[in-house]
Amino acid sequence: MRKFFGTSVVAVGAAAMLALAGCGSGRDGDTGTKGEAKGFAANSLIGVALPAKTSENWVLAGDLFTNGLKDAGFQGEVQYAGASTTVADQQAQITALVTKGAKVIIIGATDAAQLSTQVAAAHQAGVKVIAYDRLITNTPDLDYYVAFDNFKVGQLQGQALLDGMKAKKPNGPYNIELFSGSPDDNNAGVFFNGAMDVLKPEIDKGNVVVASGQKDVKQTAIQGWKPEGAQARMDQLLTSTYGNKELDGVLSPNDTLARAILTSVKGAGKPTPVVTGQDSEVESVKSIMAGQQYMTINKDTRNLVKETINMVKALQAGNAPQVNDTKSYNNGSKVVDTFLLPPVAVTKANAAEAYATDPKLAPLTK
Amino acid sequence: MSRLKDLQKNLFGGTTSNARQFGMIFTLVAIVVLFQILTDGLTLRSDNLIALFQQNSYILILAIGMLMVIVAGHIDLSVGSVAAFAGILVAKSMTEWDLPWPAAIVFGLAIGAIIGAWQGFWVAYIGVPAFIVTLAGMLLFRGGNQYIGNANTIPVPEGFREIGSGFLPEFGPNTGYNNGTLLLGLVAALAVVWRELQARKTRRAMDADPAPMWVSILRMAVMVGVIAFAALRFASGRVGTSFPISGLILVVLVIAYSFYTRNTAGGRHIYAVGGNSRAAELSGVKLKRVNFFVMMNMSVLASLAGMIFVARSAASGPQDGNGWELDAIAAVFIGGAAVAGGIGTISGSIVGGLVMAVLNNGLQLMGVGTDRVQIIKGLVLLLAVAIDVYNKSQGRFSIVGSLMRPFRREDSVPPASPPDAEREPAKAAVSG
Amino acid sequence: MSDVPTLLEMRSITKEFPGVKALSDVNLVVRAGEIHAICGENGAGKSTLMKVLSGVYPHGTYDGKIVYQGSESKFSDIRASEKAGIVIIHQELALIPGMSIAENIFLGNEPRKRGAIDWKAANRMALDLMARVGLEEDPDTLIKDIGVGKQQLVEIAKAFAKDVKLLILDEPTAALNEADSRHLLDLLRGFRSRGVTSIIISHKLNEIEAIADQITILRDGRTVETLDVKADGVDEDRIVRGMVGRELSSRFPDHTPKIGEVFFEVRNWNVRHPISADRQVCKNESFVVRRGEIVGFAGLMGAGRTELAMSVFGRSYGVYESGTIIKDGKEIVLKSVADAIDHGLAYVSEDRKAIGLNLLDDIKSSTVAAKLSKISHRGVLSEVEEYQAAEAYRKELRTKAPTVDENVGKLSGGNQQKVVLAKWMFTDPDLLILDEPTRGIDVGAKYEIYGIIQRLAEQGKGVVVISSELPELIGLCDRIYTVFEGAITGEIARADATPETLMKQMTSTKKMLTR
Repeated sequence: MRKFFGTSVVAVGAAAMLALAGCGSGRDGDTGTKGEAKGFAANSLIGVALPAKTSENWVLAGDLFTNGLKDAGFQGEVQYAGASTTVADQQAQITALVTKGAKVIIIGATDAAQLSTQVAAAHQAGVKVIAYDRLITNTPDLDYYVAFDNFKVGQLQGQALLDGMKAKKPNGPYNIELFSGSPDDNNAGVFFNGAMDVLKPEIDKGNVVVASGQKDVKQTAIQGWKPEGAQARMDQLLTSTYGNKELDGVLSPNDTLARAILTSVKGAGKPTPVVTGQDSEVESVKSIMAGQQYMTINKDTRNLVKETINMVKALQAGNAPQVNDTKSYNNGSKVVDTFLLPPVAVTKANAAEAYATDPKLAPLTK
Repeated sequence: MSRLKDLQKNLFGGTTSNARQFGMIFTLVAIVVLFQILTDGLTLRSDNLIALFQQNSYILILAIGMLMVIVAGHIDLSVGSVAAFAGILVAKSMTEWDLPWPAAIVFGLAIGAIIGAWQGFWVAYIGVPAFIVTLAGMLLFRGGNQYIGNANTIPVPEGFREIGSGFLPEFGPNTGYNNGTLLLGLVAALAVVWRELQARKTRRAMDADPAPMWVSILRMAVMVGVIAFAALRFASGRVGTSFPISGLILVVLVIAYSFYTRNTAGGRHIYAVGGNSRAAELSGVKLKRVNFFVMMNMSVLASLAGMIFVARSAASGPQDGNGWELDAIAAVFIGGAAVAGGIGTISGSIVGGLVMAVLNNGLQLMGVGTDRVQIIKGLVLLLAVAIDVYNKSQGRFSIVGSLMRPFRREDSVPPASPPDAEREPAKAAVSG
Repeated sequence: MSDVPTLLEMRSITKEFPGVKALSDVNLVVRAGEIHAICGENGAGKSTLMKVLSGVYPHGTYDGKIVYQGSESKFSDIRASEKAGIVIIHQELALIPGMSIAENIFLGNEPRKRGAIDWKAANRMALDLMARVGLEEDPDTLIKDIGVGKQQLVEIAKAFAKDVKLLILDEPTAALNEADSRHLLDLLRGFRSRGVTSIIISHKLNEIEAIADQITILRDGRTVETLDVKADGVDEDRIVRGMVGRELSSRFPDHTPKIGEVFFEVRNWNVRHPISADRQVCKNESFVVRRGEIVGFAGLMGAGRTELAMSVFGRSYGVYESGTIIKDGKEIVLKSVADAIDHGLAYVSEDRKAIGLNLLDDIKSSTVAAKLSKISHRGVLSEVEEYQAAEAYRKELRTKAPTVDENVGKLSGGNQQKVVLAKWMFTDPDLLILDEPTRGIDVGAKYEIYGIIQRLAEQGKGVVVISSELPELIGLCDRIYTVFEGAITGEIARADATPETLMKQMTSTKKMLTR
């Protein structure tokens, strides 16, 4: 009896192993080239990996993707990174989407330089990767990039800053201060360079003066786009440089920082300078209408998401998606095919017109 | 009936720690099976298993060090910052000072050792509580990371990336599987059989009846089955992928540290210090040396974890290491360590870490957002520890422990030698 | 006797833990206004019985009936029993060291006025309660600043604050010195005269004999008998017989000393207090130990005996100042405990729970903890040898435990002490220092431990015994040093040792040598 039991156990174990061996057989090769330009099923899984829900813009984008992909007949899945372990979360989410068999993954990168391994894995699994809004760097495996023309954003900000100051005070020299976004965000530098493209000639002429002397992108950067960082830096600038000088304008890369800068200036009891912004956040649009913040940029997330979904549709049909820039966006490994959308500068003067179709912002401009 | 009793007595061992360990493994298996069903088989698919190990190896490595720190009665809050600090320096050393990557790894470990010596010095020789020292370290090295890296992301070269994203190489004849992984599985299976036989010998040497032969065979069959399953899974990943290098590093560390904590005087001393430091001191344990060692060891492992993460991310970034200390600490406590020190095992912590990892992975596969994942993880941590505390307060060790209790009393010989169950997860890790 | 009303009756109490019957069919009848002692060896079920009574094990978790003040009581928790006037004072005092006497007395029971604590009233009531227990201190004094004896009184005052009718004291004098113990016993007599009923659990049979009206003896979870002290003419031997179930012919096993040459000597030992550097805890002390000799150290609590032993044992206490240790004719320097162990010293501490054992550990690893090198081969511990060593000592010392895998925290005091002894015997020492080796241990286990000590001496080891129980020293030791205020004040041969001579030397600085 005992002997019988023993042998039967061994037999069961062996059988189990054989069964397992059977089901595990057959390895997939590199499917990266297999699916080229052939398209995929219309109800395929499309993954969207976005950063943590810290800005209303990402939440809006997530909602738009969810609805847009569904309307287009796809099975969409939107995931946000966690609040603290953002990079690791996003890495895991992208891998999970690959595992689940997503055909296209759209990534709004948390840290654009730390995803190359996951993008490579996706590529090898035959998944198309689209970088959304932020260019993923140091990987040859990124397929497309969709964004607003961020250099243009910077240029618009720079131009608006000059226009705004001129409108207040016809003749210079104007004292200004410069702010830029988080150094780990690839776009931050692009915004800054765009703005400097406009401002640099004026600075060189002496018409515009950066009174603190802090002109380098490293000096002006605000880690993590944190408003408290911008406010602290502005506080310091006011004390160190503007004791008896007038501050005419501040280049701020986005609305959140712009409002923080205005708070700081107000706290110091200084007259409101011309402050730029970006993103058309509700509070900032209110601020513009109240004559505080001077301008913002309208980058309609709706359009960006729409264009991204158009790309996915083209890929599904097996066509090459439409791109309009194949030269400017080098991510360190290759030049990425890019579709750029034009941004719009908004001041009090054209706000009503610019936000006419936006259900949330339109009422604010009346 | 008596056969069933035999099985219960011998398969899971009788001591409470064994029973608890079994409970943990049971939980892990239950969660795996649950998600395997919920995700339509995605959880145990080879690419997911591979990803699971790659994604979590650095946290599990931290858990090894954290277990020793916690057993010794301390805590280390600085591991994330230390990892980030070592990571940025290693990245810089390769990109800016052109250090070859093997040298950079040694350099990274040396940084860990120096940081560890610094923290160990304050804890062991000055007597500042580790909570404070490492809270300071958390700020210090996070700041150091930002100061050195300027909050930039610094890419690392291909060779270095292997430790985070590499796999066992392809070699030998085309078997349809990754041969290296198969070989590893074979070694693991042989090790299991050898250990079982060794355990029987040990028990005979202890004048105790070894478990009935059929129980041993069943146990071996189950474990070899698990190993074979895992080995085949890992070996049948897409060509170019197989058992990850980072997983291999983890397995080696788990085996080495399990052995160290269980079978050497140094390891025993850590438990003695955590259990009753004064008693340990009066038994000839060099308290300061032990405390210094656990803190230093933790920082070395933290720097290793940092390097693996950087290698996997292909770049060192300013967000590296954020919140890692909490994941590692959670793994250790879910794995059954006592908050006051003196109790806990490496294998338990690894299983605890895997519970969290599988949970995370499974929920992600199901498309559950991180917000809800965090809520669930928080509840799991609380529940796991609460069940344990509750059962202890009821005079029982754990639910499983109490289930096992009736079988324990009736055998007056030590049941299945503890190392079996203790090693189980380590073995599982070899292959799966 | 039947005319005295019964305050409490516990009828056939049975309490089972998974697999263990801690109490079976235990009966206890306590008359109003008496002092009732409960005796029994460790593990006999005394504490369990008291926990049943005080509601720690609530009604329903045990079988049997508790009739208190004439009606059946079903306490659901401690609060319920305290409300009924039953207050238990545990061996481990439940006081908060950083709080004042008054705060402790009213902890959880604070007098309030409009929601806020009325400290004026509290202090006034505290003074009143303190007077009742004979405690003369400022109620604002912090608990940590008063001695153990006074802390015990605070506990009792705390009980009175709760309007106690039945006071239960678990080993109240275990940690007290002679004077404090006497004071406490007087206090209990005073309570009796005022009608307070007390239950006392104690291992000190002389005290029980002196104070109790009735004694209930438990053994192995059963009631053995209830004795009326006066009527039955009970003495210590009678109690012991009931507890162990047999006649103990002698409190000490037979032993013929085989004393050899002096092999261990401490000369002019000076040690300062670890924190207050101006305090000298060892004042130029010198002593010798011969092979095969059991040497006693007598002294009052705080005389510096433990300090001396620990400072010799690898400087594990205080700041070493000067002095030499000579072993086998050679001077040795012991800078750490590891040094001391390597040189063949062993120290069994007085507080085995706090500093003697890792209570989380099992018997196995506790046994080998002080000399892991002995079971290591090339740095790897041998589990087989560990098990064999532990098992051998378990058998030799007759440690009561199912297996050596048992947690030491679950063992009784006597068995824990045996594990500690095993741990140090395992290091194969030449000199074994035992600090209060039988504290909190019951009679039967004491006898066994004496036997172990004597066997060690017969093997040619030197044994030093530090004890506060003079009969123990006189019965066990070949030679006794007396210590007073950090100095050795006398050396008395066994033949000349009586409690009186020892006590005299223990309380004076004048040197007297009788050999």
